[in-house]
Amino acid sequence: MRISYEWLGEYVDTAGLSPAEAAELLTMSGTKIESLSVVDLSEIVVGRVLEQREHPRSNKPLWIHQVDVGGGQTRQIVAGAANAVAGTLVPVALPGTRVPSGTLVRDGKIAGERAQGMLCSADELLQAEERVPRIMLLDRGEPGESLATYFPVEAILEAEITPNRPDCLGHLGVARELAAAAGRELKVDFMPTFTGGIEPPGTDLVQVTIEEPDLCSRYIGAPITGVKVGPSPEWLQRRLRAAGVRPINNVVDVSAYVMLEYGQPLHVFDLARVAGSEIRVRRAREGERLACLDGQQRSLTDRMLVIADRDRPLALAGLIGGEDSGVTGATVDVLLEAATFDGVSVRATSRALALRTEASSRFEKGLAPELALAGARRAATLVAELAGGRVHRDWADEYPRPQQPVRVRVDPLQVDALLGVHVPLEESQAILRRLGFHLRTLDDGAWDVLPPVFRLDVTIPEDIVEEVGRIHGIERIPATLPGRRRPNWIPAGGEHLPSRLREVLLGAGFDETVSSALVSRRLLERLGLAEGARSVINPMSDELDTMRTSLLPSLLLAGVLNQNRSGIRADLFELGRVYRGTLADGRAEEPTRLAALSRVGGDLEAGRAGFLRLKSVADRLAEDLAAGPVEYRRASAGLFHPGRTASIHLGGREVGIVGELHPATLQVFDLDGRAVALDLDADLLLAAAGARRARELPRFPAVDRDLAVVVSDAISAAELLATIGPAGGPLLESMTAFDEYRSEQLGRRVRSIAFALTFRSLERTLTDSEVDSLMASIRSRLESEHRARPR
Amino acid sequence: MINRVEELKEAALSAAAAAGDEAALEDVRVAYLGRKGRLTEVLSNLGGVPAAERPAIGQAGNRAKQEIGAAIAERAGFLSDSRLEALAETEAIDITFPAPPLRRGHAHVLSQVRRQLEVIFERIGYSVEEGPEIETDWYNFEALNLPKGHASRDVQDSFFLDPGEETVLRTHTSNVQIRGMERIGQPPIYIVAPGRVYRRENLDATHLAGFMQLEGLAVDQGLTVGDLKGTLLYLVQSLFGPQRQVRMRPHHFGYTEPSFEFDTICGRCLGKGCRSCGQEGWLETGGCGMVHPQVLRNGGIDPERYTGYAWGFGIERIAMLEYDVEDLRLFYENDLRFNRQF
Ligand SMILES: [Zn+2]
Repeated sequence: MRISYEWLGEYVDTAGLSPAEAAELLTMSGTKIESLSVVDLSEIVVGRVLEQREHPRSNKPLWIHQVDVGGGQTRQIVAGAANAVAGTLVPVALPGTRVPSGTLVRDGKIAGERAQGMLCSADELLQAEERVPRIMLLDRGEPGESLATYFPVEAILEAEITPNRPDCLGHLGVARELAAAAGRELKVDFMPTFTGGIEPPGTDLVQVTIEEPDLCSRYIGAPITGVKVGPSPEWLQRRLRAAGVRPINNVVDVSAYVMLEYGQPLHVFDLARVAGSEIRVRRAREGERLACLDGQQRSLTDRMLVIADRDRPLALAGLIGGEDSGVTGATVDVLLEAATFDGVSVRATSRALALRTEASSRFEKGLAPELALAGARRAATLVAELAGGRVHRDWADEYPRPQQPVRVRVDPLQVDALLGVHVPLEESQAILRRLGFHLRTLDDGAWDVLPPVFRLDVTIPEDIVEEVGRIHGIERIPATLPGRRRPNWIPAGGEHLPSRLREVLLGAGFDETVSSALVSRRLLERLGLAEGARSVINPMSDELDTMRTSLLPSLLLAGVLNQNRSGIRADLFELGRVYRGTLADGRAEEPTRLAALSRVGGDLEAGRAGFLRLKSVADRLAEDLAAGPVEYRRASAGLFHPGRTASIHLGGREVGIVGELHPATLQVFDLDGRAVALDLDADLLLAAAGARRARELPRFPAVDRDLAVVVSDAISAAELLATIGPAGGPLLESMTAFDEYRSEQLGRRVRSIAFALTFRSLERTLTDSEVDSLMASIRSRLESEHRARPR
Repeated sequence: MINRVEELKEAALSAAAAAGDEAALEDVRVAYLGRKGRLTEVLSNLGGVPAAERPAIGQAGNRAKQEIGAAIAERAGFLSDSRLEALAETEAIDITFPAPPLRRGHAHVLSQVRRQLEVIFERIGYSVEEGPEIETDWYNFEALNLPKGHASRDVQDSFFLDPGEETVLRTHTSNVQIRGMERIGQPPIYIVAPGRVYRRENLDATHLAGFMQLEGLAVDQGLTVGDLKGTLLYLVQSLFGPQRQVRMRPHHFGYTEPSFEFDTICGRCLGKGCRSCGQEGWLETGGCGMVHPQVLRNGGIDPERYTGYAWGFGIERIAMLEYDVEDLRLFYENDLRFNRQF
């Protein structure tokens, strides 16, 4: 919302208060001023165009002007708009001047022609927002005069108005805020008085019917006859421009002015174009069309509310008027509309048509019906004053859903109790009165508060506390911590298990990634991961339309990005959620997973080494969580290599998968070499965490022995270890395989496997002969059960 | 015979004194005093010596051994001292030679900041609460006083999963307010809920369709705006240092009353206004307020007995302020040249 500081001065005494000070007061009381700009046109001069001709050689359309800039001087000025014809008065920025929009004007050449200045648009002078390039034309002035003569120095405040405060979408509302924050009085009453009104009664001239009282709680239609349409007076035009609106004519300008004053949108119909002298507020009929004031034809549906006459729609309620029924230079009698439309309905129509207007942006926040009356009275008075119209008595005022007065009972103690600061009673009451609240103290000390009619957002005691607090000053509330009231304070947290998982991967040299959870459904389908995937119905792009079902595509995409950008063949991991399936309430399963990806070389052995590296990561994860031994079973899974993949089991429960990726998977991502991946259900992993307990250190030495056997490829290391264990008995403390070796001498489809065994007794030192006999029985069991021969 | 012992002693003493290093000295010791050393040999071959002379020779031999031993020990001390003194030269390495990088991964900056924030709040008694990202309309909007069709939803343009718009990618972590109250039930409730949220924003340097927030919620007896302010001050000063102030500006959210936005004083200019804060002196940080009584009721809490406060802010925003990151997209690209800076 663009606020003119000069305009605010009409409602609140701004003497001694600079625009910057006012901006600070407003910001800290809840009306955030996002920018403050001072528009000073004293350097811009009036010029008279003596001659205009088209630029002879330019590719772009350009016009060359000879301009009288006063003092007997003529300057040649080139411009990109055609509307400054000979005889017009225009604002000129001479070389060396900086125009308010920021451009510094130089003496130079444009497309080979001398250019000694610039003809300014309303945009460049911060007078209005123009969509088409157009030189601003002046209606008076003498060449050489400073423009400040006609456009006094202005301060413009750009305010962010929160959706609960549509009353501040008008200067009066902002002025009330400033008055309260500055401790000053507001100079005007909210409800204007309106006297007069001529015969016949307005209701004789126009019949108003509301067919949809839920969508239109009030409709005031005031006929004003005998208006003389013409330009608005200078003060009104200036204020409209300051607020960013281009003046059109006195009647239309009044409706814009009152909207920018009160926040109540208004509309004016040419009464002669209202067929049957009747206004019907009804739903549009399927197939009806409306040529709107912005030049667009719009097709309407029965979900949209229109203002219609006997025959056809004249306007889209709360959004925009129709071209046919608008005010023109030939208009004599008008119908002034001040109505209250349902916010949800206006918003829905606005979204359906992708049309947002000054009116709709106000209505959609929900306006008070009493505001319509204030707007109607104010506008009727101004039209009569400025356009010489006669306002008829007893205008139509259909009001099927009268605004119910709201009363809020507040215990004054609640103010201090909620804010945490003492605000004296008199101060609270003074703040509320300045903001337009009426307040009565009841016998039991409670306040009976009546919010102003335009404050529909105030309904509960906490709202009243907020009003007091924000004007009293939030910066005056001392900072405290709630802990002081508690007898004991136990810090939460403790061991953070996800950090433990992260530490294992980081320690193993993996870099952590955090990727978008939205991925492309197309990619998931290509990878066979789309089952149970949840897509959004209104994506921004088909690259980001579906919630990921696996972390692996994210890691692979990160792998590709790094390979392409910097050639880094990264080891990556991510700890994050995936999303699958549909629960009864529409939500999804959202398990947290831990996945890792490692790019390795292209040969078979590199793949095997990478696989074992990820197994060691999985083993260490289980070890750090005290989750017991990990079991690996040969497995097959989409994305993974059929011969080089294992499922991972903890306590008998499958918790994930580890393996080389399938060459076809890598091909989808255009990755060369081999890659290995680990994909774990982090929730299951953490659930398997056990307690870690210290064990006594052994007091007797261990005996280490190696054992190598030659055995068929069909027998797995796990099977051999499952034999060695029982054969070694309770004295076999630990065992592992550490080498695998094939050669032609050994034979086809066999390999040599070497095991490292450790024997120990907790009670004594073992003798060599004891261990020798255990080794012998291990060898013979391996031979008998697996035909493993010693090497 | 005694002369022979004396001769050997003199020879040994001069050899010990002449030994240039510890190895040569050891050779001297072995040559005279070792099992097959010359002095040892002489003293063990006394067969041809008259019995009466033997005690005198034995005494002389022992004296000689002691003297030689002492001389060797003295020389050894000297040699060891000078060896240690010379270490700087004899064993010098080029300490400027670059070390190979430690093969340890880098934690992502967002998970570092997220954990840092969790720990800050855990220290004052908050626990971490999780909530779903694919959420029902009720928990994301309706229960938070954000009714369907209402303009207050405009600032959070949403991704929907069904045409009826009943299931939504949560637009904020505030869905955990109601879920947290329901799960814990009885105040005191002190929770923080970090996590991903989603809004239909066009991607640019300051907007992403998916980003992370951290929600905080406290429900207890007698909580005030002052407590909220103190909590935010504690947060900001824990993150950025004790000279950084917080200010709260009245604002509007459907689910808090009163509502505020909170700003952190600019670290470069400390409020005076500079380029990095757009001359404002303050950097917008997040939103907060006292929990609306209807929201407490929707969470099963009696607003007559308890009050609460809540806040929310972007985790990326904190990371940007902390590390001067200027483009949000860097956080989710996973270009390791960026990730490895943290
Ligand atoms: Zn600054």
